Amino acid sequence: MIEVGSLALIGALAFALCAIIAGAVGGKLRSARVVKSAERATLAFAAMITVAVVALEYLILTDNFHAAYVAEHSNRDLQTFYKVAVLWSGQEGSLLFWTWLLAMYSALVVLLNRKKNRQLMPYVVAVLMGVGTFFSGITFFVANPFQELSLSSASGLRPFSPADGNGLNPLLQYHSMVIHPPMLYLGYVGMAVPFAFAMAALITRQLGDNWIRTTRRWTMVPWMLLGLGIILGGNWAYAVLGWGGYWGWDPVENASLLPWLSGTAFLHSVMIQEKRGMLKVWNVVLVITTFFLSIFGTFLTRSGIVSSVHAFAQSNIGPVFAVFLAIIVFFSLTLLFLRLDHLKSENKLDSVISRESGFLFNNWILLALVFAVLWGTLFPLISKAVQGQTVTVGAPFFNKTAIPMGLLLLFLTGAGPLLAWRKTSFQSLKRNFTVPLAVALVTGVVLFAAGVRHLYAWMTLFLSAFVAVCVLGEFWKGARTRMRTAGENFALAVYNLTMRNTRRYGGYVVHLGIVLLFIGFAGLAFKADIKGDMRPGDLLRVKDYLLRCDDLVSGETPNYEYVRALITVTKDGHAFTTMHPEKRFYKASQQPTSYVAIHPGLAEDLYVVLAGMDQDSGKAIVQAFVNPLVVWVWIGGFVVFLGTLLALVPSRVEREMATIRPGHEMAVQSDDVI
Amino acid sequence: MSSRFITSLMAVALLTTVARGAAPKPTVQSIGDQVMCLCGCVATLNHCPHLNCATQAEMRAAIGKEIAAGKDETAILQDLAIQYGVQVLAAPPKKGFNLTVWILPGIGLLAGLAVAIVLVRRWHAPSAPASAAAPPVDAELLAAVEEEIKTSGLGPKE
Repeated sequence: MIEVGSLALIGALAFALCAIIAGAVGGKLRSARVVKSAERATLAFAAMITVAVVALEYLILTDNFHAAYVAEHSNRDLQTFYKVAVLWSGQEGSLLFWTWLLAMYSALVVLLNRKKNRQLMPYVVAVLMGVGTFFSGITFFVANPFQELSLSSASGLRPFSPADGNGLNPLLQYHSMVIHPPMLYLGYVGMAVPFAFAMAALITRQLGDNWIRTTRRWTMVPWMLLGLGIILGGNWAYAVLGWGGYWGWDPVENASLLPWLSGTAFLHSVMIQEKRGMLKVWNVVLVITTFFLSIFGTFLTRSGIVSSVHAFAQSNIGPVFAVFLAIIVFFSLTLLFLRLDHLKSENKLDSVISRESGFLFNNWILLALVFAVLWGTLFPLISKAVQGQTVTVGAPFFNKTAIPMGLLLLFLTGAGPLLAWRKTSFQSLKRNFTVPLAVALVTGVVLFAAGVRHLYAWMTLFLSAFVAVCVLGEFWKGARTRMRTAGENFALAVYNLTMRNTRRYGGYVVHLGIVLLFIGFAGLAFKADIKGDMRPGDLLRVKDYLLRCDDLVSGETPNYEYVRALITVTKDGHAFTTMHPEKRFYKASQQPTSYVAIHPGLAEDLYVVLAGMDQDSGKAIVQAFVNPLVVWVWIGGFVVFLGTLLALVPSRVEREMATIRPGHEMAVQSDDVI
Repeated sequence: MSSRFITSLMAVALLTTVARGAAPKPTVQSIGDQVMCLCGCVATLNHCPHLNCATQAEMRAAIGKEIAAGKDETAILQDLAIQYGVQVLAAPPKKGFNLTVWILPGIGLLAGLAVAIVLVRRWHAPSAPASAAAPPVDAELLAAVEEEIKTSGLGPKE
């Protein structure tokens, strides 16, 4: 199976190169036959990479420790569920996984565009396979997951298979960690598709709205999955790292946030091009930036150029990635420069107070945030190079710079959709903003009276009220009209309204999800924690909760040994819950990890960590946190996911248009949000 | 209406100012978010995931002593930087080359705003008569809309 995997990789590389050549030649000669060959080569590339992935999974699941990758990252007693995840747990496997996801996206692009975008497709295929060549090449030549273990002896090298493997990093043995990397990778890799369409549009000079409309869904899907991946990563950090938080502005976390932010900017500004034929250059720049940041994120995670608690696989692939990033920048910006004449704006701005301006300012904040996060992430490297001094740029910097920008964005989340295209009158502003502003002011006063003194938390909750009323008001206004004109009840009116324009109302649901996320973030200002030594019978108090250690038990499973604290919790004198935090020691990897006990609630989580054992006294070191509103971060993330799914569903109007005019793609509807 | 609007804005500004409040007294926990644990975990003192981390315990004790001596947050952070090196700080001090990390995001934000304003001004066309401002109608789309109106039964009765 090792040989099968290696052969499949080299075969994939060959097919990717064929696809590039056939795509470029077929596009230039306008030969349908050659273009077809390029597309078939792309499908063959996908098949070959799939064979390589299946081969590696087979080696992992059958405990073939002759394969160096399997011996390094798996062990016999690892649960099958986690064995599947070994594929993306190490450097070589994760790069193969990246390549496979790209192959799947590419195959899907080919299959879904057999009768559409025929002028663009040769170059779309060539660009996607250019990326595929890089990743399959790096997987075969630099980080090959099919290397065999051998021992040197007098008669030369002989094959070697250890009795057991080193095991999977214990921090990765958590359920959301099995889903988090694939989601994140689906997000990163998927950004290659809009990039390929943008490059194809530049090469062919087909710079109308077609490539923009085609790529909107291809951008929304990876954007949604990247967002989901980020949330799942936060959930993993919260449940496994044991410090009571979910976001620490770690370089690898930042790397995933950057393409999500620039992708958000693109999904908004693309509407100005669809609706008004403006911002054409800017949209290409955003597509390039998002793809660049996706590759940069992979580079940051995998190269080890920055220290991170999330970088589980590091090696010397940095220089190869740096060259690839330079090629992307040079190739794409050169093409953009050569086609500037074809990217002229078709319209002017009618008014400063308009939806167009709202989007422009939304893009301004998002890109400023991208710059601030990128700058802070890279500053330790820049400082080392310039002043020879190692500095740390952590949460205090990012909180000071990102939070104000985040609050401005939150404001625009509510205000933007209330602005009309072209021009918004003062009367309209007054009509749309009076109720949301009044509700927000009342909320602010109530919060202040309730003792909320933390500035950012207060502002976040104030703005959240404003945005929530703005968004819900849109549903209310639309539903009321339907209730009046069609005689529908409220629920049916909301349903019909939403399904008639999924893009607009899906966007509103996304905005509501963002509000919930911010409410969850605001809870950070009110967290409390305590640390104490406990043995059976000891008590520990945190806010209204009294923790009593009933027992400390130890045991083992085939995979790990553990110490577990049995803790009874009372709240305000009443029985509340029992919690069982664990400290685990994994046998194969010889590494300890915490298994945090969390009692989630809509108002606050009680979060208990068995931080360790005091060797002298035999007491357990227990840390307890009260984390307000955290659950709203997970709910908010899920709502954003659902809203994006909704926006991806073709609306009734679109479906009706498609039946009237087969093949017709609906132009942007008047008040779309994403 | 405008005076009510201004009053509302003033109320928000007042609340914002009051909400800012006085600087709280430092605690080991509050300082622990601003300094890195130097055990190699790449996390702040409060976030160090290591079991019985000796470095974390030593640093917490040092911070405890400073708080007991009555020092404020700035003085404690300065002392820690002297004792352990500047990399102990979770964010670089605002001086010398390190100042750039703090000011460039702000400059970037303002530069972006300036660009946005210039673009808005450049793109802003003076109001034109309604007939001139109306976008050209795609004949094919118009036909499709008419077709839809006809099939949905919403059009005029023939």
